[in-house]
Amino acid sequence: MNNSAQTQSIDPALYATATEAIRAEAKRVLEAGTVAAVVGWQAGRRKGSALPAIVTDPTKADTLVFSPACVNNLALYLTKAKKEIRQKGRLAIVVKGCDLRALVGLMGENQLKREELHIIGVVCPGVQGRGEATMAAKCRECAVHTPEGTDVTVGSLPDLPRFTPVESEELARLEAMTPAERWAFWKEHFARCIRCYACRQLCPFCYCEQCLCDRNRPQAVETTPRPAGNMAWHIVRAMHLAGRCAGCAECERACPMDIPLNLLNRKMAKELKELYGHEAGFEVQEKGPLAQYREDDDQSFIK
Amino acid sequence: MSRIGVFVCHCGENISRTVDVEKVAAEAARLPGVSYACDYKYMCSDPGQSLLKKAVAEHGLDGVVVAACSPRMHEKTFRSAAKSAGLNPFLCEMANIREHCSWVHEDREEATAKASDIVAMMVARVKKDKRLVPITVPVTKRALVIGGGIAGIQAALDIADAGHQVVLVEREPSIGGHMAQLSETFPTLDCSQCIMTPRMVDAANHPNITLHTYSEIESVDGYIGNFQITVRKKARSVIEERCTGCGICSAKCPQKKIPNSFDKNLGLRPAIYVPFPQAVPNTPVIDRANCTYFRSGKCGVCQKVCGPGAIDYGQEDSLIVEPVGAIVVATGFELYSISEKPKGSPIKGYGEFGHGTIPDVIDGLTFERLASASGPTGGKILRPSDGKEPKQVVFVQCVGSRAREKGISYCSKICCMYTAKHTMLYRHKVHDGQAYVFFMDARTPGKNYDEFWRRAVEEEEAVYIRGMVSRLYQKGDKVVVMGSDIAVGLQVEIEADLVVLATAVQPRTGADTLAQKLGISYDRYNFYSEAHAKLKPVECATAGIYLAGACQGPKDIPDTVSQASAAAAKVMTLFAKSELEREPIVAKVNERTCVACLYCRKVCPYGAVEEKELRDRQGNLIRVVAYVNPGVCGGCGTCQATCPSKSVELDGYTDEQIMAMIESL
Repeated sequence: MNNSAQTQSIDPALYATATEAIRAEAKRVLEAGTVAAVVGWQAGRRKGSALPAIVTDPTKADTLVFSPACVNNLALYLTKAKKEIRQKGRLAIVVKGCDLRALVGLMGENQLKREELHIIGVVCPGVQGRGEATMAAKCRECAVHTPEGTDVTVGSLPDLPRFTPVESEELARLEAMTPAERWAFWKEHFARCIRCYACRQLCPFCYCEQCLCDRNRPQAVETTPRPAGNMAWHIVRAMHLAGRCAGCAECERACPMDIPLNLLNRKMAKELKELYGHEAGFEVQEKGPLAQYREDDDQSFIK
Repeated sequence: MSRIGVFVCHCGENISRTVDVEKVAAEAARLPGVSYACDYKYMCSDPGQSLLKKAVAEHGLDGVVVAACSPRMHEKTFRSAAKSAGLNPFLCEMANIREHCSWVHEDREEATAKASDIVAMMVARVKKDKRLVPITVPVTKRALVIGGGIAGIQAALDIADAGHQVVLVEREPSIGGHMAQLSETFPTLDCSQCIMTPRMVDAANHPNITLHTYSEIESVDGYIGNFQITVRKKARSVIEERCTGCGICSAKCPQKKIPNSFDKNLGLRPAIYVPFPQAVPNTPVIDRANCTYFRSGKCGVCQKVCGPGAIDYGQEDSLIVEPVGAIVVATGFELYSISEKPKGSPIKGYGEFGHGTIPDVIDGLTFERLASASGPTGGKILRPSDGKEPKQVVFVQCVGSRAREKGISYCSKICCMYTAKHTMLYRHKVHDGQAYVFFMDARTPGKNYDEFWRRAVEEEEAVYIRGMVSRLYQKGDKVVVMGSDIAVGLQVEIEADLVVLATAVQPRTGADTLAQKLGISYDRYNFYSEAHAKLKPVECATAGIYLAGACQGPKDIPDTVSQASAAAAKVMTLFAKSELEREPIVAKVNERTCVACLYCRKVCPYGAVEEKELRDRQGNLIRVVAYVNPGVCGGCGTCQATCPSKSVELDGYTDEQIMAMIESL
């Protein structure tokens, strides 16, 4: 492990300052009554951990935190899957740059309205990956440390060391494979899948009331965890996220079987960028590249 | 258990030549749920249809598969046969074993096996077909005609005469179009203005026609029977209701040296003008780009001299919404210009003809203005450069047209005839002049057309030279025409006083933009596409929109008028009923699972998807879902393929049916 890829190398005071600012802003908007609840993170019971929190009482605003343990993409809590939160009224949400991209994507899909949200952006130097002291892979190549277009942005960015770009290296390794090797690679990974659907439950873009893969009349995807059905499920997941996934990597974090799901997502995102110059989550798009046909679309894939 | 009947057609020998139809029928009879199967020589014939009807009654069939040709050919036939046998017509499906099988295969055994598979798939599908009822949508009995040339005027008059309201929208300040610019018309040489202007006046005075001139289509919403058209009425700077058309404003306007585009820039007009004396409406318009008042704020002469006070410098564009039930598109054509084209354009100009820089090289329409009694020269043929009467005129045909290397491969159809006419008009006006025509071949199909051309050659002594022109250049006050005469195999050089190019007929600039607003298809040249080249030549693929005139392809006046009347007849057919029946093959949203991501709306080519609010009994909003307007849905199924949660399905093509078809293999 590269020594520089540690969250400990970042001054803890930065997180503390951001925490103070989040608390102050949460208190202000709750007291003013401009929002009914603030979606943020609070400290977990175990030292150094954090978990998502919904704060409705201004006096409880002090429980909110920002630390390297604030890994969750809170955009999930604004999707239809979490109806009871949406029903509270106008909401404030604390977002990292990567989380904001999911929010923007959801706005483009008619799921959220910008004017119904108070977005508290937090400048994020990075959050932890597996193991408390490790910097998450997605953070090592982060290009959105500072969220843009929020209502308020708190925190400041330190000079960050150069991290080893794990994601790019993995992607390069994948792309160097022959199609047959790549197929074998994914077959091997997907064969392990136990179909717990943790990836689906955590994904802000998996907000369907009934997933296509749960349908049985007719059944599109076999539901038992067997290789063929697993492959079908993961292909459906990847295709449904193509052009939408903004790379929060929550799926991969939640996967109990260590399937490199975000690697597949990154590959799809890269294809979209190369083919159509499209990057998800930077602006509210009327139509994504996969929902429209243009005469100058790349046709080279037709062979 | 279903009781399906399968009818296998020989189609004469079209199918039975390569497919063992008896075997297909025998195998179909063994399929689960099939209670009757047979084969017959011509299923579409009267005895064939009776066979089907009889079998439905005798065997109590609850579904029918006709294994024959494409459903585009005979689905309607068999569905109505099924209907008359008491079956819901949508429980009758066709298995295409002709276009999809017998016509494209040679091996009899394999083709037979494939035909059996196709039949099995359709049996699986028909078992899950629902009884559908045609959709009825109300019809607004009011038509929109876009374009006020002869096509638009004809269509508008026909529809209006049938007693329906018509909204006629014209981009220019006056209706009339190209026909108002012509001198005399082939093959009878009657004066164009004399036959055109009365029609223009008829259109303007017709109680059922609302005329919007100097107006453009801003947007089009809705669908057949129920369109909402937003018309942008451009600021005329003249209040139409007050103007009496006395013309004093034009007479007094100090700005008089503006080239008149109606006269192909040969004549001049003031800044406040009517394009030509017979304009309808006879209401002037201020050309703001050239008006002294608009450029410097000083002048205002027209306002001072206008008795009724009709001049309004502050007038702004206004938007008018017109509800209509049908649309006739008659936007006409424009002539190809030989000037340099923008880089990357698939259509090229003519550098070898000087790219339009030689003043005495003109196009056919300019010649029409020269020959017209109301034109800039009062009907005298005088060349643009020095106003002298040309003694040698060279006409060049197929400029731009039929020139694949220039980007246009089609024939412009009207040029052979109008060039023959030009040589005659020239001869009639300049008795000692000589006309030469460079041509590839003379295309003169049409009543009295070839006689007309022969007359130009034999009686009016036009010299026709079969060959192409390679170069035009100025030499002194002459234009040298370098060409070939392939009849004698020689290069020819003529020193001409005037050269007239029969340039290609092209769709109007912006035809593609209008097509996108209307949602109609167009070809690579931007000509609008008809629904079927032979059987639906005036309908667009988009329901409720019809085509008239040269916007669909090059046409002469008789063809244009015929098509305009045909389009009008189609509109009247639509308006004959107050409600419209549509095939119920439309998408339906499963509101229970729809999450309103509205990807369906993003991909829908018909604009059929809307948001729908689901409310409880107290009126509280529960949630929003997608809604497919059945009146607009074209039944393409793109939404079904796109929907991530498979919450939208096309009746007759549900996922369950498609899966059953796949599983039947």
